[in-house]
Amino acid sequence: MTFLELKGIRKSFDGVHALKGVDFTVEEGEVHGLVGENGSGKSTLMKIIAGVYTPDEGQIRLDGRLVTDNSPFFSSVSGISVIYQDLSLFPNLTVVENIYMGKVVSDPGKFVNPNKYIQTAIDALNGLGVAINPYDLVEMLPIAKQQLIAIARALTNKTRLLILDEPTTALTRKEILQLFGILGRLKEKGISFIFISHKLDEVLEICDRVTVLRDGGLVGAEAAKNLAVGDLEAMMLGKSLTFERKTSSSAKPDEALRLERLTKKNNFADVSLTVKMGEIVGLSGLLGSGRTELALALFGIAPADSGKIFVNGRESRIESVDDAMARGIAYVPEDRLLQGLVMDHAIGDNIVLATQDDYLKKSRLIDRKAMQSMSERWIRDLGIKTDSSRKSARVLSGGNQQKVVVAKWLAMNPAILILDSPTVGIDVGAKSALYETIRESAGKGMAILMISDEMPELLSNCDRIYVMRNGRMIREFDAQKITEADLRGALEMSGSTSFRGVGV
Amino acid sequence: MRRYFFNRHEWFLVGVLAALSIAITWVNPSFLSFENITDLLKSFTVLGIFSLGMFMVIVSGGFDISFTAIAQAAQYTVVALLVFRWQSAGYIWVAIVLAVLFGLILGCLNGVVIHFFKIPPIMVTIATQNLYYGIMYVVTRGDLIHDLPAYYRNFSYARIIEFHKPDGTPYGLTWVTFLWIVLGIVVALFLKYTRLGRSVFAVGGNRISAERIGFNIFLTTLFVYGAMGAIAGFAAIVDVSIAGSVIPNSIVGKELQIIAAVILGGAAITGGKGSIQGTFLGVLLFAVLSNSLTLLKIPSYYYKVFTGLVILIAVAGNALQLKRQEGKKVRVQVDQIPSGQA
Amino acid sequence: MFNKLKEFFGGATLSLFVTMVLVFLFMYLLNGGKYVDLYNIRSMASQLPIIGFLAVGMMFAMLTGGINLAIVSNANLNGLVICVALSWLTGSESLVRNDMKSASVFQVVLAIAAGIVISVLIGVFHGVMVAWLRIPALLVTLGTMTFIIGVNEAVTRGYTISGFPAHLTRIGTDNLKGVLASWGVDFPWAIPIPMILFILSCIVAWLLLNRTRFGFSLYMMGANETAAKFSGVNIMKITVIQYVVSALFASLTSLVMIGQLNSIKANYYESYVLVAVLACFLGGVDPNGGFGRLASVIIATFILQFISSGFNLMRMDPYMVTAMWGGIVLILIFGRAILSYTRRKLRRRTPESGAA
Repeated sequence: MTFLELKGIRKSFDGVHALKGVDFTVEEGEVHGLVGENGSGKSTLMKIIAGVYTPDEGQIRLDGRLVTDNSPFFSSVSGISVIYQDLSLFPNLTVVENIYMGKVVSDPGKFVNPNKYIQTAIDALNGLGVAINPYDLVEMLPIAKQQLIAIARALTNKTRLLILDEPTTALTRKEILQLFGILGRLKEKGISFIFISHKLDEVLEICDRVTVLRDGGLVGAEAAKNLAVGDLEAMMLGKSLTFERKTSSSAKPDEALRLERLTKKNNFADVSLTVKMGEIVGLSGLLGSGRTELALALFGIAPADSGKIFVNGRESRIESVDDAMARGIAYVPEDRLLQGLVMDHAIGDNIVLATQDDYLKKSRLIDRKAMQSMSERWIRDLGIKTDSSRKSARVLSGGNQQKVVVAKWLAMNPAILILDSPTVGIDVGAKSALYETIRESAGKGMAILMISDEMPELLSNCDRIYVMRNGRMIREFDAQKITEADLRGALEMSGSTSFRGVGV
Repeated sequence: MRRYFFNRHEWFLVGVLAALSIAITWVNPSFLSFENITDLLKSFTVLGIFSLGMFMVIVSGGFDISFTAIAQAAQYTVVALLVFRWQSAGYIWVAIVLAVLFGLILGCLNGVVIHFFKIPPIMVTIATQNLYYGIMYVVTRGDLIHDLPAYYRNFSYARIIEFHKPDGTPYGLTWVTFLWIVLGIVVALFLKYTRLGRSVFAVGGNRISAERIGFNIFLTTLFVYGAMGAIAGFAAIVDVSIAGSVIPNSIVGKELQIIAAVILGGAAITGGKGSIQGTFLGVLLFAVLSNSLTLLKIPSYYYKVFTGLVILIAVAGNALQLKRQEGKKVRVQVDQIPSGQA
Repeated sequence: MFNKLKEFFGGATLSLFVTMVLVFLFMYLLNGGKYVDLYNIRSMASQLPIIGFLAVGMMFAMLTGGINLAIVSNANLNGLVICVALSWLTGSESLVRNDMKSASVFQVVLAIAAGIVISVLIGVFHGVMVAWLRIPALLVTLGTMTFIIGVNEAVTRGYTISGFPAHLTRIGTDNLKGVLASWGVDFPWAIPIPMILFILSCIVAWLLLNRTRFGFSLYMMGANETAAKFSGVNIMKITVIQYVVSALFASLTSLVMIGQLNSIKANYYESYVLVAVLACFLGGVDPNGGFGRLASVIIATFILQFISSGFNLMRMDPYMVTAMWGGIVLILIFGRAILSYTRRKLRRRTPESGAA
């Protein structure tokens, strides 16, 4: 039976069409995937279902009945709950308090009897079959458990449709499997899910049907069992993205970076690797493998405890970002919004931020004019789409923002460039432009260490690929001699207890 | 981790208080006498009452500098009206009701501006402090009001438990102190057992989540600033009954000390965390500190030196502990034995 | 040149500038000719620097979302250190019964240096507590403020200390014409020395903020500390410099204060801490950090000074001034809100819903 039906939904903001007549249905007890590139209209559609936005045109039906006046309140009493990517929990409160907080709002009466709710909350946790101490503070728990708490909270609210926005981004593989197990059990009870994700293999793994959006329009809705990742990509992009296997290498014989048994307690242990000048080396691993922690140690943010680092053949101590930069190490961080850019300041200022020393005049004052012309040069060279270097970085698209971060580090002309998940959440055009830039830099002799878990990206760009798991380096591959399956196998080898891994 | 009556920080405060008390009693045994303790509590009652309102504001993630000006204005206006205009309405409860209403209105005004104009509360309340205090001073021209009717003094002298010294002078637990403690319990129960009270913690912990889950943020904001104003009005009347006269600049300037007491009591300046027990202990610590200086015959000038030191040590200690925890955090569960090749 | 001016003033500053002109005209209307006579202008010019120094010093702290509640107590301590140093150098029997008047120019310079050293130490302490221990500046400076006031009270024991040598008080009272005349140079304008100090310090502050790596890093770090750290900005260093500069403005305040009041006490101008915050807010410094122009803050201090001088001339209660300062900030808050509301209404029809 159809629980939710949307017909011909249109919505525009400031004259920009976010949704251009989209149909969408969710059956009872169905897990429905919703995929599309950034800006394809996924989140607008989600917010229309949740009653946050009102559509300009189109119909919404719940259980076949027409909904005329949707609102967050109405959708919530109709049994629709949303778990946003940030989970919307209260870090300062205990697990039970978080779970029953929804009831506190929805139940009539001005008084609250916590004791009455505690049992409901504990029951909700037990219903998920997870062991969480109900009196722990939420901020002390790992993300995976917080996610389950958010689900438990939604379930206390007689939820019939649960919308999950990118639920697996911060989870390790083991945690994802646990989550999928729980979703499966809830599905049998007749609860429906909308699963929004950019991880296409996971979408196909858990979903019954998948709806694909592109540029605010509906591309199609098909049963997951008839689809492959490639099909979905083609639908999302409107063309199939082909990754050419890498054939030539610009690697030179000299080593730019060598690590010997680098160790940091509770982060990684005995990591050894080498990167030659002009070589592009991949570093792969799932979340919680220690790949980002290793990069942070190399860049001096969270220095290693023991082991040796050789830069251009000389043993180097890296205790701070200053140390790292002085040795020519640059780092494009994982979290572009928080770590990569000063969003509200000018694009130009962001580009020159790491190289302020280059613009000192004899008077020790900085030359703003030189700064501006240099940043304009980078904007041209990398094709950053903006009409002025003075605009704030926030107005740029994700891909262009990432180009700004890369420009900031290329301006330093580093010997070693570390890129952490450089293409997550950016569109195809920007992706291939970035690859081009990376290869060009390697061609000039720069050593590149690219952290990624996207197989095609690694295979088409890298000369060699290292794989980390549970804080240790487990494999090293020659990229030209392996298949995607080999790499995937190494990544997902069922390991020992995987705990938690979130960037800084 | 179930919530016990005292958490770790509060046990620490209890320890510091105990250590201080033992040290002082060693030097001057009269410290632990019932008389000294009740006197001490009485003299910190006003600060204690203020701290209850400030506690709610800080837990909600807000800030208020203007409450002393509100108290000052409420005190002056109400007492002047009752002494010079409406002599027939001369009861302490009339003064309290009027002052509470007066404070409530000014406090709500803060809440409205903070909520609707999305200006940081510290800015809004600095402005309103200037405004409220300035207007009051202009109206009163800074004149003191002496010769208050007896009911003011009687209010602060009334004791709920009374003893007499051999020479006949009474001492004991005063009603005002008792009311402070009762008000504290009421606030604690309110925060725990009502929807509005829970919303204060929710908004302070994560404002966006609180909004998404359906709390009315405006109501919460209005409530905490309104309650702060109302409590300030009540404290103002307690203050005048203890002081025995209205001095137009007796309260303004104490706001930062009250905020310090609440912070010392373990409330997080970022909101969402803290307890009434802790706030009581924070006020008590200031009380014992000031009393010990008196009993140890240290000049009162040094009171602020010690207060400042206590604040600095408390926040630095807390920060160091957080830093240590952060360093120990497990980011990756590292395999003990290397698997595969390295 | 025009571009330089435009850069200096900027868009938002213009409306503040208009506000300043309006306030000036309003006060002129209320007071008539005596508002613009030489005497009043000169008295404004010697009073303004005190609010000005404190506001600019506060601005440096606020540019990273911090605050310096200790700025006024720091100024008083700085003055007291000068006192203590001078008394010691001149072999006085006590602070109150001192012999500071006999101090030589060299001794005065030494004493001023001692004051600066103390201010720098306070600034370093603030910076370290904020950057290394990551304690909110509000709490750190609340603690140091209380502590410093305590020290001031303990040192002065509640007394007001006076008897400063003339070459020290001249900094707060003399004017350029007088100083130059004593050097045998003839100069037509009697610009008060405090005003000259203020102008010079503002030029230095402007250069620091807009033409040095420190200033560039400060603005970027104020808007996003993590991103700045990930771009090689040394957070610790910048924060320490930031609070040292803030403390140096307290140091300047104390020099002018000593001259104008011809005395020093534990807590002169205590209420000016909040006035300085108000001036910054009025001047559009973002309380969350990252944004704020020096020119706007200076204009804001002019507005506050115009109001207070105007009311003083009308023999208005000084507390009326306090009320007006609060009032004008609230009016500005309302004004800005209404302006941005209408602008939004005009620009687009369907803004994203508030619940998002």
